[in-house]
Amino acid sequence: MSGTALAAPALAASDDLRRDRSGGVWRRTWFDRIVGWALPLTVLVAVIPILDLAYWICVRALPSFTLATLTTNPSGAGGGLYAPLVGTLEILLLATTTAVAFGLIGGLVTAEYLDEAGAGVVRVTANVMAGIPSIIVGLFGFLAFVLAFGWGASLAAAGVTLGVFMTPYVFRATDLAYASIPPHIREAALGSGARPIQYLLRVATPIALPQVLSGVFLAMAIGVGETAPLYLTTSAAAIPPSGLFVPAGALSLYIWEDFQNPLPGAVHIAFEAAFLLLVIVVGLNVLVRLIGQRARRRLEGLFQ
Amino acid sequence: MSPPSSPPTPQDGQPLPAPPGPSSSNLGALRRILPYIPALIPLAITVAIVLVLVQATHFENFGRSFWSFNAAQNGILIYVVGSFLTSVPALALAMGIGLAVAIASAVYMPGWLASWTDPFVDLLSGIPSIVYGLWGYFVVAPYFKADVYPWTTTYLAWIPGFAANRTSPSGTGASVMLAIVILFLMILPVTTLLMRDALRSIPKDLWESGLALGATRWEVTRRVSIPYCRRGIWGAAFLGFGRAMGETVAVFMVIGQIPRLPTNIYDNTSTMASLIIAEVDTAFEKSSVGYQTLHFLAELGLVLMGISLAVNVAGRWLIRRTFTEVAGV
Repeated sequence: MSGTALAAPALAASDDLRRDRSGGVWRRTWFDRIVGWALPLTVLVAVIPILDLAYWICVRALPSFTLATLTTNPSGAGGGLYAPLVGTLEILLLATTTAVAFGLIGGLVTAEYLDEAGAGVVRVTANVMAGIPSIIVGLFGFLAFVLAFGWGASLAAAGVTLGVFMTPYVFRATDLAYASIPPHIREAALGSGARPIQYLLRVATPIALPQVLSGVFLAMAIGVGETAPLYLTTSAAAIPPSGLFVPAGALSLYIWEDFQNPLPGAVHIAFEAAFLLLVIVVGLNVLVRLIGQRARRRLEGLFQ
Repeated sequence: MSPPSSPPTPQDGQPLPAPPGPSSSNLGALRRILPYIPALIPLAITVAIVLVLVQATHFENFGRSFWSFNAAQNGILIYVVGSFLTSVPALALAMGIGLAVAIASAVYMPGWLASWTDPFVDLLSGIPSIVYGLWGYFVVAPYFKADVYPWTTTYLAWIPGFAANRTSPSGTGASVMLAIVILFLMILPVTTLLMRDALRSIPKDLWESGLALGATRWEVTRRVSIPYCRRGIWGAAFLGFGRAMGETVAVFMVIGQIPRLPTNIYDNTSTMASLIIAEVDTAFEKSSVGYQTLHFLAELGLVLMGISLAVNVAGRWLIRRTFTEVAGV
């Protein structure tokens, strides 16, 4: 008796839906089905450009791509990409170090030591910082490191500027990694007599580390392709950097310098550099995905 | 050693209060303040960026000529208009297609299919800006010039700005339209990811009670899910817009980079971000022109920073969650 009474509003509402403006059940069902076929097709808008881009970069880079491309320095509108490749890796190393130095402790502390309100505010600031355009960070690096600190266009200026740009990504990944550890793990650790520092170093960190690593790799994948901050803080040197305060070339800079160069060899160099950059970025993204998946599976295990 | 005034009561999910040590009140305050020092590094860097930009500007430069269309006297309105003219249509496209992809992925696709298509969308955001620019300049621009522009001038001439009374002056196919298309592809993953996440976060009860009332999946999505996710969708729009405004090198490569107002969609123009990178060479010079340019770029950068901060704060206020996902959104 009470069951029907409870169901009455629901039945009335379903009656409403049946007498809906959009027509009969048959028509509504078919509309749903057509939408169900049409909407997934819109994914092609994302898939086709990616495949086209990958195809054309390969088609225009691979015919002239040899081992010599990786082992010789660029010269004029020809030569290889040894110097920009080394430069990219060195800039990335310095940038990652900077970003980890700025972001890691902050993210950890936000997840572990701040109260909810404070952590909320801090997370908004980190997220907003992640939205600052890279050209603005580049302009900051140019004004602060190149001019005010007097480092000039150099490996140091480029690395630190890129590190500043990558900081919020490391910060957020670390925060998220520690914040997603289920609370009962902490309670179990502290309840069985672990000191807070022991919990942090020997319980939480091993759980969070894969996710932190995947965040660092993600930051590297985002940073390695950046052009604007590097263009403002270093210059496309043709030899690998011999020290911190000399210019270091980068792959993205070579694309930038060569794409408008009318000499025919320059365009080849640009496409070869783009191909290398794409390989590095996709490789890092795959790494992020693999580590992230394993971390998630482990975390799901902890919840059981 | 004195006992604390009230015994600590551990709550579920809350960090346990630190055990009282020697002089626990001082240490307690210190323990509460100290973590904020590393935690506020992102805020400190943001403030530092603003301060560095401000100290590089000349305040007297923010006069009437700064807010004018006169590019020769360092007026910035052409670039502001250029930024909006490219970002807004790109955002409109990215919101429409993004919502379609997000609904497809969150509602209609079987799990195995979504797990194949989602990475494509994520990867779209991983591709460096410069690679988009290279592809746009050497592959898409010639194609647009040969095939797309003739088609749109014939069949879409009724839309204002689509009838060509003057073709792209650079002759390479670079145009406002191409910039819009490339920007659209670059921000599509941002809007899609945020909306997909919002749509996936609706409570299962709500979804199932809609279906149980006899509504189709489309009707529940249209009348329940989308109103429920309104905040997330608006947030995606703000964050996507912020991303579009800040794009630099790809836009520079496909927009033609001429400081003037475009007369139609095939014309060239310039955006704030692309102007900064175009003028940096001059700013490196140690001459009076160089210093003038440096001040101008800092002023332009400050305006861009202001817009981007406002948009991002609004977007993050609407979407308070942090996203785990791969694209770094």
